[in-house]
Amino acid sequence: MADTTFWDGSDHYLCDKELAQAFHIARTLGMPLLIEGEPGTGKTELPLQYAASQQTEMFVYPAGSKSNVEQFVAKFDHVKYLRDSQIEILNAQRNEKGLDTKLSSGGRDTENLSDYVVMGPATKAFSQPNSVLLIDEIDKAPREFPNDLLYALSHRKFILPESGKVIETTEKDMPTIVITSNREQELPTAFKGRCIYHYIQFPDAEKMRLIVSKHHPKVSNKIVESCLDIFYQLRRIGLERAPTTRELLNWLRYVKTFSTQEALSKINALDGLGTLIKTQADLERVQRQFGNASEQSFGTLN
Amino acid sequence: MFTKLPEAFKKFDLSVDVRALLLLQKAMDRGLVKTIGDLYNVLRTFIIKDPEHIGPYTKAFYSYFLDINIRPNERLNDAILRSQTFEQWKEVNFGRIEEDITPEEWVNRFLDQVHLTHYDIKEVLDGKELWDKDKGDLADEQEQNQEETPNRPLDRMADYSDLSLEELMQRMEEVMKQQQSQHSGGSHWVGTGGISPYGHGGAAKDGIRVGGSGGGKMARKVLGDSNYFPVDLDAVLNDNNIDAALASLKGIVEETAQEILDVKETIEKGLERGGLFIPEIKNETFDKLQVLLVIDNGGYSMHPYIKAVQTLFRKMKTRFAHDLETYYFHNTVYRQVFSDSQRRKVLPIERLLSKDPNYHVFFIGDAAMAPYELDRTSLNTYADIKDHFKKVAWLNPEPIKFWNGTLSTQIIKELLPMYPLTPKGIEEAVLEMNRKK
Repeated sequence: MADTTFWDGSDHYLCDKELAQAFHIARTLGMPLLIEGEPGTGKTELPLQYAASQQTEMFVYPAGSKSNVEQFVAKFDHVKYLRDSQIEILNAQRNEKGLDTKLSSGGRDTENLSDYVVMGPATKAFSQPNSVLLIDEIDKAPREFPNDLLYALSHRKFILPESGKVIETTEKDMPTIVITSNREQELPTAFKGRCIYHYIQFPDAEKMRLIVSKHHPKVSNKIVESCLDIFYQLRRIGLERAPTTRELLNWLRYVKTFSTQEALSKINALDGLGTLIKTQADLERVQRQFGNASEQSFGTLN
Repeated sequence: MFTKLPEAFKKFDLSVDVRALLLLQKAMDRGLVKTIGDLYNVLRTFIIKDPEHIGPYTKAFYSYFLDINIRPNERLNDAILRSQTFEQWKEVNFGRIEEDITPEEWVNRFLDQVHLTHYDIKEVLDGKELWDKDKGDLADEQEQNQEETPNRPLDRMADYSDLSLEELMQRMEEVMKQQQSQHSGGSHWVGTGGISPYGHGGAAKDGIRVGGSGGGKMARKVLGDSNYFPVDLDAVLNDNNIDAALASLKGIVEETAQEILDVKETIEKGLERGGLFIPEIKNETFDKLQVLLVIDNGGYSMHPYIKAVQTLFRKMKTRFAHDLETYYFHNTVYRQVFSDSQRRKVLPIERLLSKDPNYHVFFIGDAAMAPYELDRTSLNTYADIKDHFKKVAWLNPEPIKFWNGTLSTQIIKELLPMYPLTPKGIEEAVLEMNRKK
């Protein structure tokens, strides 16, 4: 990799010190960085912000239950290939019958198998020096998926289907690879062994203040403080799905549309709770525990 | 070098393979390791593969590199304060200067130094450069500072960026040698000519204050937080036997989203189209395997087997990520199970019985209890479960030869098919379950 200078966030993104160091280690060693952590702690943001601030090209592969290596690496377009070979026959027949016009195969040549290989994000990133490749939420992919990547990760090499072309990159030019996971399923040990591992710790109030100020620089301190206060209270009472950074930022986006005084009363009344609490059971629980406050405030508001 | 590291870390249930050691070598070649704080960080990204490893890793690191051994239920602070490493560090760096500092403050200083990384140093240096540019008349001040600093070791900062790899290796080897003669008071990295940025060996850059760098905070947090040592997650898995046994489960398993060519459909459609064959794709589906794990996690009799059970449990979780549900009970199941390992969240047995009968149900427990505990309610519960779920097995971690020694085990064995909690036992259980399809 050409660029191995230390990168620790940009104007819009506060990169945790340890994460920045792990990211640096990964880039220096030319290994993928595997980031795990609670949802909404900014795992996906890291490569996005890095690519944006370095102005390099970025390739994203969002993993899902149907992910397979074919989509990730490259696919051979059998349908197009068949169509084109049929067209050749048709053209020959038309020629025989004395028809001049030819059906077009769009510049593709059936002799050249590479014309029919559709490149996936991985091969695109590998043929573009110093790009960024993000494999998002790899834990959602079937178990075979990470296992199938092992060879490519340790040899920096993909073999394209049918055409047999090899896409290879050197350690120097290799893309910065970031893989994120929510730990919905354990990844194979062999896979983890090939990655630099980092677990994002949930930010404490001090760090959260910095994160908030990067996203909502204009919100008054009072609002931020009372939001954080309630936010960490909610996290402490042991909800099924505790609110995360993402939810807090969304909540702030909502309350900041009001004037400071109004916003404060909205916060205390837990207005916009839907942005923070995502399950019915949690909602009931919060209402039981914080119930009195909200009733009072509702009384004065209405 | 570091040949003993895997062995030392194994004691903390952390597996360190050759790959990690080679990577460490590579990281050193590339200048990533310049302080002991760096070493902690770099090694961490290689060794930790799970958030639960952070605590044990930190323990192992302190034990191996700093000779600070944390006793069970001891806090890091106390372990540091009673360690020889700390004494020596204090001696070398602060000498006889009597400073009015509380033990906590000492520990903080120590931790900040141990976890100082070259990133921190760089930050400070960069900051200084900026400052230099701002102030023209700095030269004089700097000299003054230099005169003052020898008495204030904390203000001193070493920059190891010039240190060659060979030198670094040599130092590490020395440290290793010292470590072997532990009882002669051999101290480790901090304090002597090791990697300590404050030791007497380094080319110290004077006049720069560290001012509470971030790294030490993490260690304080990790080792002060009981969440990092949850009792039931200390186990590290390397038992390939269980893997093999679970592979036998795999035969009947897993719904995948693989796409395959539907040959029949392709031919039929192709014929309809008058010979234009376009590949038809269909989703390949397998049977779904749904697993219910009901674990006895209470009582002293289960203690010796906790590790084996955890191993199995973690492996199962890996393999059946989406269709595995786990419940807990204490000694025997009455009309309820618990959905959390602390056994606080109750799930009535009716709810369990309303689940899809195709679930494979595994009970894991030693089935050993006082005879009166296994009363009619409990027996009925087992009967109901057996009626509802066709595929039920009881996995017992106790060796078979002891089964007949316990009355309750004998009774349960009559009710539910019981197998030993060994790879072979699991395999037998699964084969038997498959037969009931």
